[in-house]
Amino acid sequence: MKKKKLLSLLLAGAMSASIFVGCGSSATDWDYISNKGELVIGVTYFEPMNYLDADGKLTGFETEFAEAVCKKMGVTPKFQKIDWDSKEVELNSKTIDCIWNGLTIDDDRKSTMDISTPYMENKQVMVAKSDVADKIKSADDLKDKTVVAEKKSAGETVAQTDKFFSSAKYVSVDAQAKALLEVKSGTADVAVIDYVMSIGTLKSGSDYSDLKVVEGKDFSPEQYGIALRKDSPETLKKLNDAIQAVADDGTLEKIAEKYSLQDLLLVKKK
Amino acid sequence: MDQFFNVSEQLLQGFGENCIIFIVTLLAAIPLGLIISMGSMSKFKPLKWLTKTFVWIIRGTPLMLQLFVVFYVPPLVSNGSVTFARMNAALIAFIINYAAYFSEIFRGGIESVPKGQYEAGQVLGMTKGQIFFKVVLLQVVKKITAPMGNEIITLVKDTSLSSVIAIPEILMRAKDFSMQGLIWPLFYSAVFFLAFCGILTLLFSFIEKKLDYYKG
Repeated sequence: MKKKKLLSLLLAGAMSASIFVGCGSSATDWDYISNKGELVIGVTYFEPMNYLDADGKLTGFETEFAEAVCKKMGVTPKFQKIDWDSKEVELNSKTIDCIWNGLTIDDDRKSTMDISTPYMENKQVMVAKSDVADKIKSADDLKDKTVVAEKKSAGETVAQTDKFFSSAKYVSVDAQAKALLEVKSGTADVAVIDYVMSIGTLKSGSDYSDLKVVEGKDFSPEQYGIALRKDSPETLKKLNDAIQAVADDGTLEKIAEKYSLQDLLLVKKK
Repeated sequence: MDQFFNVSEQLLQGFGENCIIFIVTLLAAIPLGLIISMGSMSKFKPLKWLTKTFVWIIRGTPLMLQLFVVFYVPPLVSNGSVTFARMNAALIAFIINYAAYFSEIFRGGIESVPKGQYEAGQVLGMTKGQIFFKVVLLQVVKKITAPMGNEIITLVKDTSLSSVIAIPEILMRAKDFSMQGLIWPLFYSAVFFLAFCGILTLLFSFIEKKLDYYKG
């Protein structure tokens, strides 16, 4: 929270400074990227989107998807790990050229960034300890239970607005992984997290293998998109065309199947 | 077992980043801090005023914010044409921040040497430089060992703040493991800090013992 406040202050300062300096170059965003020949992709590590395999090599659905799309665009992908809280500053200060990491499309983000065609669907699910999870069938089963979600996430919106949670207590934490930690340690009963995130974290052999997704109930389907700097229509068009091209030649589906995400794909072969 | 080695290797690599920040900051901030402390003790008022303001700004703002400023403000105001590498930005912020703290420790040490010793040196016909290096400096070193030890151990742990500008340091890597369903690396990372600070603590008590020559 503190970090975000600081950041917004800093941003305000930097923006007012850039009013005076900012109107220098007239080159478009695509000129800037194609001159470099590389697209710097801002990512954080989470399975199955972008993560390090046993050899320490970056892999995952988004990693392979981005590599395939960049090939069509004729640029080299360069993955840059970022702090998720600072993604908008990273984008505007050109330390990265896009955010490509399971970014949920919403109106706020649409107004501050250019966002690609939605390529994947996601939903919010409840995660609880196995014995608790089996007992959650209706809203009454959540009475006096503590529900936890990441601050400002889609999960938080669900936990605070959906009637299903009206009799539960709500607590927010600063990351989805922390929400799981709360459930695991017993300080909260139910976490509301991304379905995609639950695939990677709840797999057998992980520390969370005693937790499970509550079956038969999910919330607020949402869509993933790739965020570019505001007002970069040319880059956006190249990106969208390349996404469609990767879908058309079957590459996208193949990659999605590898990570069992094929049912969530939104871009179809034409 | 394989998993343990993999995690250890990842965390150790991350801790390497922490160590780079620690060592470079220490090597650069000590001389810079000495220069700043000279400035803040200067008889030339504008210089004194300037350094005091500088120290006030650096000590009065969070290091986390300073990291943001150094890394993000240059590209934001220059529309991307001026950028520091992430590590360089981190080093700049850490060096400036720690130099400001060190300078106050140095100032305290230097000002605690009684004025009479300077006067005695002058009576004996020593130059200002001779008085500082042959009479004052060693006493200062002795006096500041404990507060410097404190500050240096704080530095070891502060290096983790560099993760806010995405330096892949140890805590960030440990958090990544928790996104893959492994919790224990987060707590295991404490071992690295504890070991490093343990060595530093031993080193400082050794130095203090060596400097304790008056007590025989």
